[in-house]
Amino acid sequence: MKNLIYKTSLLLLLLTGSSCKKWLDLKPRDGITRQGFWKTKEDIQAAVAGIYTSLLSPPPRVGDKALTEWIFMHGELRADMLDAGLGSTIEERDMFDNNIVSSSSLASWSAYYRTINYCNTVLDYAPAVKDSDPTLTDSQLNAFRAEALTIRAMMYFYLVRTFRDVPLKLSSSAKDTDLEELAKSTSAEVLTRIVADLKEAEAVAVTSYGSTMANKGRVTKYTINTILADVYLWMDNYTACITECNKVINSQLFSMQTANGSWYTNVFYNGSSTETIFEFNNQLATGSIPNVFYNVLVLSTRKRYIASNYLLTNTFVPDDVDPDRIVDIRADNFFRSNDLTITKWGTELPSYVNWQAYRITDVLLLKAEALAMTNAGAEAIAIIEDIRLKRAAVNATAETPDPGDADGIINYILNERSREFAFEGKRWYDLLRVAKRDNYKRLDVLLDMIAGTVSPTVQQSAIIKFQDKNSHYLPIQEAQLFVDPKLVQNPFYTK
Amino acid sequence: MTKKYIYSFCIVICCLLVSIEANAQITNVKGKVIDKKDKDPVIGASVVLLDKDGRVIKGVASDIEGNYSLPVTDKSYRIRVSSLGYKSTTPIAIDKATINFQLESSDNQMDEVTIVGRVKSNNGSGMSIDKRDQTGSIGTINAKEIEDMQAASIDQALQGRLSGLDITSTSGDPGAPMQIRIRGISSINGAVDPLIVVDGMPYDISIPSDFNLGSSDENAFGQLLNIAPSDILDISVLKDAAATAIWGSRAANGVLVINTKRGSIGPPAISYNFKGSYSRQPGPIPMLNGNQYSSLILEEFYNAGRQFSTSEFAKQFQYDRNDPYNYYNFSNNTNWLEAITRVGYLQDHNFSISGGGEKAKYRASVNYFNNQGTTKGTGLNRMSARVNLDYTVSTKIRFSADIVYTHIDSRNLYNDFDNNRKSRVREVAYQKMPNQAIFEYDEYGNITSNFFSPAVTAQGTFINNSPASTYNALAMALAAQNHQLGERLLPKFGLRYQIIPDKLLLTGNFQADINNTKVKTFLPQIATGRPFTDASVNSAGDTDGDAFTMASNITLAYTPQLGKKHDLILFSRFDSNDSRRTGQGMFSTNTASSFLADPAVESRNNGIGSAYSSYAQSRSVGLLVSGQYKFLDRYIFNAGIRGDGNSKFGPNNRFGLFPSISGLWRISGEPFMKNTARYIDNLSLRSSYGVVGNAPRYDYTFLNTYQNYGFSYLGQAGVYSSNMELADLRWEKVAQLNAGITLSMFKGAINLDADVYRKRTTDMFYEGLVIPNYNGYTAVDMNVGTMDNQGWEFSLNGIAVKKKNLRIDYSFNISHNENIIRQVSPYFPRENNAKITENNRFKVFVQENNPFGSFYGFRYKGVYQDQNSTIAIDEKGNQIIGPNGQKVYMRFAYPSIDYVFQPGDAMYEDINNDGNIDYKDIVYLGNSNPKLTGGFGTGITLFGNIRFGANFSYRYGYDMINGTKITTTSMNGFSNQSTAVLRRWRSEGDVTDMPRAVFGGGYNFLGSDRYVEDASFLRLRSVTMKYDFSKNFMRRLGMKSLSMNLMMENILTFTRYTGQDPEVALRQTAFSTLVDNSTTPPIKTLTFGLTANF
Repeated sequence: MKNLIYKTSLLLLLLTGSSCKKWLDLKPRDGITRQGFWKTKEDIQAAVAGIYTSLLSPPPRVGDKALTEWIFMHGELRADMLDAGLGSTIEERDMFDNNIVSSSSLASWSAYYRTINYCNTVLDYAPAVKDSDPTLTDSQLNAFRAEALTIRAMMYFYLVRTFRDVPLKLSSSAKDTDLEELAKSTSAEVLTRIVADLKEAEAVAVTSYGSTMANKGRVTKYTINTILADVYLWMDNYTACITECNKVINSQLFSMQTANGSWYTNVFYNGSSTETIFEFNNQLATGSIPNVFYNVLVLSTRKRYIASNYLLTNTFVPDDVDPDRIVDIRADNFFRSNDLTITKWGTELPSYVNWQAYRITDVLLLKAEALAMTNAGAEAIAIIEDIRLKRAAVNATAETPDPGDADGIINYILNERSREFAFEGKRWYDLLRVAKRDNYKRLDVLLDMIAGTVSPTVQQSAIIKFQDKNSHYLPIQEAQLFVDPKLVQNPFYTK
Repeated sequence: MTKKYIYSFCIVICCLLVSIEANAQITNVKGKVIDKKDKDPVIGASVVLLDKDGRVIKGVASDIEGNYSLPVTDKSYRIRVSSLGYKSTTPIAIDKATINFQLESSDNQMDEVTIVGRVKSNNGSGMSIDKRDQTGSIGTINAKEIEDMQAASIDQALQGRLSGLDITSTSGDPGAPMQIRIRGISSINGAVDPLIVVDGMPYDISIPSDFNLGSSDENAFGQLLNIAPSDILDISVLKDAAATAIWGSRAANGVLVINTKRGSIGPPAISYNFKGSYSRQPGPIPMLNGNQYSSLILEEFYNAGRQFSTSEFAKQFQYDRNDPYNYYNFSNNTNWLEAITRVGYLQDHNFSISGGGEKAKYRASVNYFNNQGTTKGTGLNRMSARVNLDYTVSTKIRFSADIVYTHIDSRNLYNDFDNNRKSRVREVAYQKMPNQAIFEYDEYGNITSNFFSPAVTAQGTFINNSPASTYNALAMALAAQNHQLGERLLPKFGLRYQIIPDKLLLTGNFQADINNTKVKTFLPQIATGRPFTDASVNSAGDTDGDAFTMASNITLAYTPQLGKKHDLILFSRFDSNDSRRTGQGMFSTNTASSFLADPAVESRNNGIGSAYSSYAQSRSVGLLVSGQYKFLDRYIFNAGIRGDGNSKFGPNNRFGLFPSISGLWRISGEPFMKNTARYIDNLSLRSSYGVVGNAPRYDYTFLNTYQNYGFSYLGQAGVYSSNMELADLRWEKVAQLNAGITLSMFKGAINLDADVYRKRTTDMFYEGLVIPNYNGYTAVDMNVGTMDNQGWEFSLNGIAVKKKNLRIDYSFNISHNENIIRQVSPYFPRENNAKITENNRFKVFVQENNPFGSFYGFRYKGVYQDQNSTIAIDEKGNQIIGPNGQKVYMRFAYPSIDYVFQPGDAMYEDINNDGNIDYKDIVYLGNSNPKLTGGFGTGITLFGNIRFGANFSYRYGYDMINGTKITTTSMNGFSNQSTAVLRRWRSEGDVTDMPRAVFGGGYNFLGSDRYVEDASFLRLRSVTMKYDFSKNFMRRLGMKSLSMNLMMENILTFTRYTGQDPEVALRQTAFSTLVDNSTTPPIKTLTFGLTANF
């Protein structure tokens, strides 16, 4: 009998011993685990595709606006080209009036950081794939890394322009133990990092993927140069900006299309034209998704934004000679003058118009702005006039600044940019870039804008607010301050 | 893998048994079996040879003359005779070749078997300990006490019966589950249901959370339903850690142990039990009729300064005879609630047969249950069968085989509010415009048989998943389908092996649980009236969830004989559990006809997610080692340790060790208490401490998984990291400290139990904790802090009078429990995200070291009767005058909203007298945790066969937000309102407590004490009358017994609460408040029952 007891206890011991560990180790059957992923170069490819996909839509079951919509809102709402539509929320109306509080859901940065995390994931885990996939070459790996670095830099560039000082998260969050409490980095630190990342990417990025769609829809060396030019101009580094612009221009791969009836169709509706440097590709192909703007801008009862009335009187002025026939080709294609509906991103449901992140005209006008700031006003004016010619801009919007009058040229550039990039999420950043230059020498740019757009009842308070330069940046959302004590609120919003 | 070991283990045992040596000596034994009384031969008596362990070697039946003959191969064999209707003989040694037997009749001997000796308490584990020696806190109820109730499910019947056990109905609809809480909740987010153990094996009552049965509440299946109440022998509630420790990780929320009836030796006992009941809902809140409603709407618009007559829907309120179609369809006085309500019926048939002999015992039962719900479109059908078999192979080996099969077919209301997985039919009926017709009228005023379901009315339209959705409630209840089918099969095999008789006992159990559920839903066009191209029209769904669970355990109990003074039990138990769930579902919309209700039919629209499948598996193991030592029958000490392993954790945190320790001191056994022995039967002090681990709800969270986007970028599929690897997720630990006293006096006249406890949850789980979103995720599941549940329980029962013709039993229990957060992660939110400046919002804060459940809001002071009363008043009571002598009027939320109060608006107390009602004026309004809960009852037996019983349940000292009052008196939109709004403010000078009607604006229903009510109640839960027919009468009928009973349930509720019913189940998170939204209230029921035994 004793023997039996021993046998029993031995069996029980065996049961609970080593074999249990194995028995309890279960893996899901649907879904790939990180450990099972990152094995081949195709895995990296899929993860990089995931980064781009995240620009168009939040992942399933994440209740957030699409990143494109955030870019649009943060770049336009506080500027002068939009008005509230029927479906706009109270918070959005407050933002139009520059009446922003830290509890506002519009001060959310989560969409940018979500994409940053996907970039970080690729940067952290792609290199190890080399160990398991010998067919992965260094240049392939580096090209993938360049894409991730560039999108991450681009996201940080949006953040730094919207919030100024932001936490710099450079590693992926794969585990709960990876969670960190970060303090804000200053905008200078963030910008330095952006430049470093872009420089690193530029060295290894490809110049072509072998198809036009991919060349426009994915990051190429020229995308990187363009973003760098934009970043340098934001940092007031004019010569570097001009250098980067020239790299793009001299590639001779990008050119403006002629101003005829099919211009809008070629550049926007079909997309991937010679004008485009980088676009978020929605184009109707198997399995793609429509852009988010139909509900936001077009659907009659629910649209949240319409074009500002100000556009009719100031930006797209009809020609005084023959208002019916001579028109800027941009005006009619971007919005409907009768009900101010913004049509640039398509009027159909579903709409597959691509989001244009950078076009060649952007590079040209960035260069013009840098030239104007480096006493090359004549060259700058030439660029503007060239663009105006190709867009059939009307005489009524022509300006004649003196080539030595940098401020005048800059104003002209700003006006031309507002026509060229209407509703592309750039207006606010353009204004702010100019206003903050040389220690807010041109604050008048912002104050003039307010005079034109903000509701009369709150105009005075908006003007007073804008005297405080901290107010030009959005607050950190209140809920974020609760969960990270290291985050310090933008001082303007603590009053 | 464990299975394999169990099998090999069984094989080892079998091998041991076979090793029986053969003996060469062969003799033969023969003889005659006769009746002792009349000396007639007994035909067919079973004559068996037994070995020294009592195992049957060979058996024959006696022939027509009562003769038998058997070969004997071993001297040690003994012989025994048994026959139906006779007493079995004791085994006798075979000392001669001819042995005759005289059998004694066993007539009527089975009737009055009283079980002598002490009741063994059962914690379901197989470790049996005298109840009086139990060191843990355990409450037990015998099913005899509750078997007469109509309850479909045993949890309904348990309400208010045991201390520390709080059971609340979630709804009065058939098949709706009960919310069971044992000593509060130990986890603020995650699994909070107690573990149910049936016949020693865990029994899942909730639908696995990974099933996407689009239409069912997470535990809406009330799987306890599958156990017919008449099959239940007793139920125990294990409350403290010493008692639950053996059940390990799943017992953190307490354990409910249910034992079913088994067969016993005797001739077949056939029993038939019938219950039939009639039930109806208590009266609803009185609502406005069509005319009152129409005039209210016009007034709302006028007060809001809006034009109504020009709006698109004005014709629905114009009662214009020139527009006959609208006139007939929108000039009614419809009582929508009455339209969807009906009388409910229930029938429950239970047939069982049980009995057995020395070797085999059996009990088999079949149950049919049918319930028509009190809301139209609801009903439940259940068929179940159970067979419990025990076979005694020898005195050493016994095995049992139990098989349970259940088929459930339940019809529920269509869940149109999918996010919360519930049906809004009743809510919509409350709010529906009463001037609208139920059935469509044609232009000549003739009523047709079509439901009147306009695509859109003034109230709006049907929107899936929206709380603003509206529709024809009766059409939704009757035309839409939500059909749930369940099949559950539970085979269980058990083996008991006395390795050393009376010393070492081995038991092994294996159970498979095959639980398949199917849900079919269909929303036809007529239910919503939406146009045919709408995605909600003719949408069909078919989902399947199949769960397969294998559970096994092996126990070893060692009870050495250490002399008179010492008692020792050493016990160990090994458990394993493997559960696999697969789910499939398919959805389609816009099938061509409302009769094509299956998603397999090719239809116009199959969107993203129209088909899905899922698979998940979890495993757990546990090993318990424990011992109980008793010295001098007075000092008892128990200690145990359990190791748990669970596949839901990452490799680093997969295993946990959880100790428990407890002791008991029986004071009444001490020599100095000798004098009291005449009246004190038992006086003991108990105390225990133990830790139990709790595993999280979801599988695989310790893995970082990548998923596909549902679309491609440039034709390439994109992959993203969908979650964070929860490498740090640890066991939630619940440590419980319990001290109790047990006193029983006057031979059972008084039995008293009192306990105080503190349950401390450390490493508490929190799902969806907000984290800094620069990490790329907004929330993560985490172990966040420490929470306490502390309280006390007291229960008293006994027999007050015990005479020949009169017996009075009584019972009383009372408990108190409170939840306190002791320490919590800095990420944990400290307040809910309710904006107090919006209507119908209450503020909730989490403060460390304070009980939660408190809510905050404004203080309601009535209605501004005129312009003068809206002038702001300073703290001295004087009107505030501005610097230019102007009057300063009361404002709301200056400067952000800056609304100036108007006459007729709700008046809120300006706590800080600044003339501005804002967040600074919110105050504590109440707490939704009951101070006391419990129940009491009495039973009176006259002449031994007439019995009256009454049972009460109560909750005391808690506040509830009357959500129905908010929505039925808001006068803010097109929802119908209660008749209370007839006294609303209408013109300057009106003095009333009901503000004016304002469409779409105003601040008249802010979260305030106006809606907070004391929801304490005392409910006469049941009244029973039972009559047993006399024995002699029965014998003449050839029956053993017959009894009839009549029972009324939920007859009377004493409460000051003004809503429909004060009993509301709380879905508890740290921020939840108790809100009564008037789901189907507990129904009033009259039941007739009949029990016949043959």
